[in-house]
Amino acid sequence: MSGTTSMRAGSRALLAILLPALALVAAGCGSSAKKGGALTVLSQGDIQSLDPGVEYSQYDYMAVAMPTQRALYGWRPGDRKPSPDLAAAMPQLSNGGKTITIKLKSGVRFSPPVNREATSKDVKYAIERTFLPSVGNGYAPVYFGDIKGAVAFQNGKAKHISGIKAPDPHTLVIKTKKPVGVLTTANALTLPGSAPVPRGYAKKFDRGSTSTYAQHVVTTGPYMIPNDRAGNVTGWVPSKRLVLVRNPNWRKGTDDRPAYLDRIVFLAGNDLSVATRRILTGTSLVNGDFAAPPVADFKLALERYGSQVSITPGDSFRAVTLNTKVKPFDNVNVRKAVAAILDRNALIATRGGPRIGQVATHYISPYMPGYQVAGGLKSPYDFMSNANGSLALAKSYMRKAGYASGTYNGPPVLMVGDNASPAKDTGEAIQSELQQLGFKLNYQQVPHEVANSKFCQVPKQNVAICPNWGWAKDFYDSQSLIDPLFNGKNITQTLNNNLPQLDDPQLNGAMDRAEQIPDAASRAKAWGELDRTITGLAVEIPWIWDNNVNERSKNVNGMVNAFDGTWDVSYTSIK
Amino acid sequence: MTGAVDFLHEAAEDAGPTGGGLDLGVRSPFQLFWRRLRTDRVALVAAGFIVFLVLVAVFAPQVVDLAGARPPNAPSKRYFTLGKVGVPSPTGPSSKNLFGVDPLGRDLFSRVVYGLRISLEIALLATGLSVLIGLVVGLFAGYYRGWVDTALSRLVDILLAFPVLLLALGIASACSLGNGCVGGLIKPGLSVVVAVIALINWTFIARIVRGQVLSVREREFVEAARSIGASNLRIMFREILPNLVAPLIVYTTLIIPQNILLEAALSYLGVGVRPPDPSLGKMLADATDVFDTAWWYMAFPGAALLLMVLAFNLLGDGLQDALNPRSARPR
Repeated sequence: MSGTTSMRAGSRALLAILLPALALVAAGCGSSAKKGGALTVLSQGDIQSLDPGVEYSQYDYMAVAMPTQRALYGWRPGDRKPSPDLAAAMPQLSNGGKTITIKLKSGVRFSPPVNREATSKDVKYAIERTFLPSVGNGYAPVYFGDIKGAVAFQNGKAKHISGIKAPDPHTLVIKTKKPVGVLTTANALTLPGSAPVPRGYAKKFDRGSTSTYAQHVVTTGPYMIPNDRAGNVTGWVPSKRLVLVRNPNWRKGTDDRPAYLDRIVFLAGNDLSVATRRILTGTSLVNGDFAAPPVADFKLALERYGSQVSITPGDSFRAVTLNTKVKPFDNVNVRKAVAAILDRNALIATRGGPRIGQVATHYISPYMPGYQVAGGLKSPYDFMSNANGSLALAKSYMRKAGYASGTYNGPPVLMVGDNASPAKDTGEAIQSELQQLGFKLNYQQVPHEVANSKFCQVPKQNVAICPNWGWAKDFYDSQSLIDPLFNGKNITQTLNNNLPQLDDPQLNGAMDRAEQIPDAASRAKAWGELDRTITGLAVEIPWIWDNNVNERSKNVNGMVNAFDGTWDVSYTSIK
Repeated sequence: MTGAVDFLHEAAEDAGPTGGGLDLGVRSPFQLFWRRLRTDRVALVAAGFIVFLVLVAVFAPQVVDLAGARPPNAPSKRYFTLGKVGVPSPTGPSSKNLFGVDPLGRDLFSRVVYGLRISLEIALLATGLSVLIGLVVGLFAGYYRGWVDTALSRLVDILLAFPVLLLALGIASACSLGNGCVGGLIKPGLSVVVAVIALINWTFIARIVRGQVLSVREREFVEAARSIGASNLRIMFREILPNLVAPLIVYTTLIIPQNILLEAALSYLGVGVRPPDPSLGKMLADATDVFDTAWWYMAFPGAALLLMVLAFNLLGDGLQDALNPRSARPR
């Protein structure tokens, strides 16, 4: 998922002991799922968009994309590979993987006011519109850019993308310039950008400088956002409340999702600590966008409400980034010294200890393809081997870097991190560890969004160290954990994700080749090997593979989807 | 504020060279002041406590050593307990860590000691700076009157019209990024906090001083000095200024605790001292997140702040009474 995983603990909660005096006895007897009922989701922030062409954050997936849209492929809660959703079967490949043929299900219909069947033409339009400036999609060039004619369409030189064809209503053919692994394995076709958008209805909203399709969105999934007869969305009050109700045109026979709930309400603007306690003590509540509660609340939750807490692997990592374009981190041995001194166990303790994640030794996390190739739990590198950090080893690398005393004696270096717990605590722990190596830091603590969008992700700022960087997969293909972060072609002047500014022609070439591998097994091997090589450069020191921590009320029969790491409301029910 | 102004007028008369002869000239004004202060046990205890705090602050490294505590910026995961659910949380007061540890495993006792040091340092520097600015502005405004007075007084009025905390927050955050502000003169960190507090608080001093000067400049000894041809600067600083010392001392003692609290507030709001330096305000802010599981993190810094401010306030009250017996509270 794009950007960083912002799981920072929220604001102050001095009077957080809130006891909703709801003496509701859970109906039902805890047996298996029951149809009906309403669920309320408490979140800190709000969703970003209702437009499937825009949605690209964890919470957008949970609240909108997964329950309301049907992309070509989807993720069943326990699966780590895509399965057909709007598509009837996995893609058929021909022409060396450069032609992808996808058959669509029949009988999947749009919600009111469109009310007709979704066809391959609607999928073609959906993918095309992800390239429209008025839509402002975040991943189209990266994952769909090698489709034939995509560049010409993006530059306004063609009316359609020539490489996407709809020969009949239930067949879609995608032709690419070279094999694109994330398409042939269907991984990128799970993104909400491939969910059908009715061209005739949506085209008028996509004109102009900013698309207004979000205010008129129609859905194909089991749920929809309430709207009026003309299609104007009435169920979303930004920053406050989003309501989902059943889509009357959804047919159970066409979908794996059981869709037990009748109604789901998402409430934004909650304090993390208060919301956690409300969920644990209340009824019919689950958490939304916060992937982990503050440490103190996490402890309370496990101690008193252990059965209501779900801990699942997050397929994401957190890392300390070192900018190779800023002295002294242009020197690989200085970087290795930093990697060696980091006490990763102590850093994990600042977030909640071993229950909140495990020590990372490289980037590809345990459940992602290529994990074993990349090294598994054991690192081949001495500077990544001691999770408690080693001052002696760090000093030996500093001496190799030319610091005779084993400690740094140059000018202060700029470090920019978050100003809220627990990320703030992590940053201060890193600061004290670096001080043992003689580093004097100009350490700025700013809000999370500022740290990223104004400093760490802006190469011009010359930030040397970013202690609070994190990254989560886009899907179960390890390209999404490596390529955006370390390929030289992905260095941008704003919202840059290649924080170390690593731009090694040989590595770039290897990554470009790995992008083109069509089959999943060979892809896993290639990206795993790249992970191992890049870890050896110590440009970005991973220290935790996060777990996702989710909480539910006692009467909620919750199901976490491994794909986005949060409750899958289409599979969750009320006891 | 008006109460303070009233008493200061009177106090100045008492303490001034002409007003000191009330008691048949046997005792100097300072002796009178000391005699009165001596009987005020509360003020004396407060003064004693302040001396103690200052000593602790000055000798912080030795105090921490003596108590066998770890240095203030040494995190350690050794002082976490995993509890029965495996979530690390800081441990409370023990023989190893007198005040317990914070969520990074740092010794809270040494952080409180160093926090006191930083609080006092900032409060004293900021108070000194604001007294200096306020004194000069007040002297000029009161002495020259006319357009100088008008200009300076309006400036004071304008500054007083700003919402203090918002102004301080704005300036502090503007100066806290990159290389600071005013061309790098104010660097992020301690100097920002000192500058912000001084900038806000000099106006009160300036008003007090101006009022005093307006009355003192009409006295005979000023007339006399002028008649023998003394320069304006000499009259201001050699003739008038000594008459302002007593009220200045009182007022300074009263704004020190205000400044300590302002520093704590700024640090609480995240624009004060920078990590890893401890600040009482910042500790209080951080403690709110973990109050359920680590009460000591809020209790000790909170108590330290409370006692320090209380001591300065009590001393200030005592000084006020001693300088101005006519407004003394019934004992």
